[in-house]
Amino acid sequence: MSQSRQINVSKNGVPVIAIVALAILFAAGLFVVGFDQGHIFSLVYGEDAFQDMYIHELTHDMRHAAGFPCH
Amino acid sequence: MKTFLFIFIVISSGAAAGIIHGSANLVFVEPSLDQAIGIENQHLFASGEEKDTPEFRAQYDDYRIWQKSGQVFAGGILGISMGSLFGIVFVLSRNSLPGKTDIKKALVLAGVMWLTIYFIPFLKYPANPPTVGDPETVVLRGILYLTFIALSGFGAVGFYKLSQKLKTKKFIAFIGYAAFIGIIFVVMPGNPDKINTPMDLVDHFRTMSAFTVSLYWLSLGIIFGSLWNYYKPHREIPPSFN
Repeated sequence: MSQSRQINVSKNGVPVIAIVALAILFAAGLFVVGFDQGHIFSLVYGEDAFQDMYIHELTHDMRHAAGFPCH
Repeated sequence: MKTFLFIFIVISSGAAAGIIHGSANLVFVEPSLDQAIGIENQHLFASGEEKDTPEFRAQYDDYRIWQKSGQVFAGGILGISMGSLFGIVFVLSRNSLPGKTDIKKALVLAGVMWLTIYFIPFLKYPANPPTVGDPETVVLRGILYLTFIALSGFGAVGFYKLSQKLKTKKFIAFIGYAAFIGIIFVVMPGNPDKINTPMDLVDHFRTMSAFTVSLYWLSLGIIFGSLWNYYKPHREIPPSFN
């Protein structure tokens, strides 16, 4: 039924848009907490963001506690 | 499938489990972090890079307040992130997950994901407190860690697909995954950094870290499963109309 009903619904009846949105949330959240070294703020503040590393410092303790590589 | 309800369950359960994770870290992990950063400061004083002055202490205290305040916030973000991955896998595999209720199904999946994308990678690349990691190797360590997690996770999915085809000999797929991850475990290079920090501090930190991450996965399974069980987003027609 669901196969013929909509193009954007997978064979499990799961909307593809939901999967894509969650995949983006997964990747973005993982990057923010686990790997950002100033990259995100550098889009606004330029090279200074790599020195300040606000997001890195804010997520620093969780980064260590969750097992991500850090200094 | 009720799309918005599904996404609401994923985000709210991920955020709630992440806040539990961050709050537990404040109690169980922060003491080790404070101790490790204290050692880091002693190294700075010994090398002459910094002086142990009231100004330094005031700046350090502000810095630590900022970092500690991020525990719960970062817990929420990481919780939503990992919860999103969990939600994707759950919704695509729900029909074949064991368990009569969605709570049991969610707990089974949380256990599988905990094992394959957290605990096995943790055994190869265990968490380290500050002072252990060399800033020069952080990119390499990040690549190694993510690669191992990806290989373990995709390996688990691949062997799960294989188990579906092996109707009577599913155990072969388990053995296959064990052999696959065993080879990856041996072949991949270890953490390049040498540990000069007291091992009792490192071991205590690792134990507490593993405990709180495990608490996250358990919380996620229970909260996600309970919400799914209650709202039943997979039903096209509300239960009251049946």
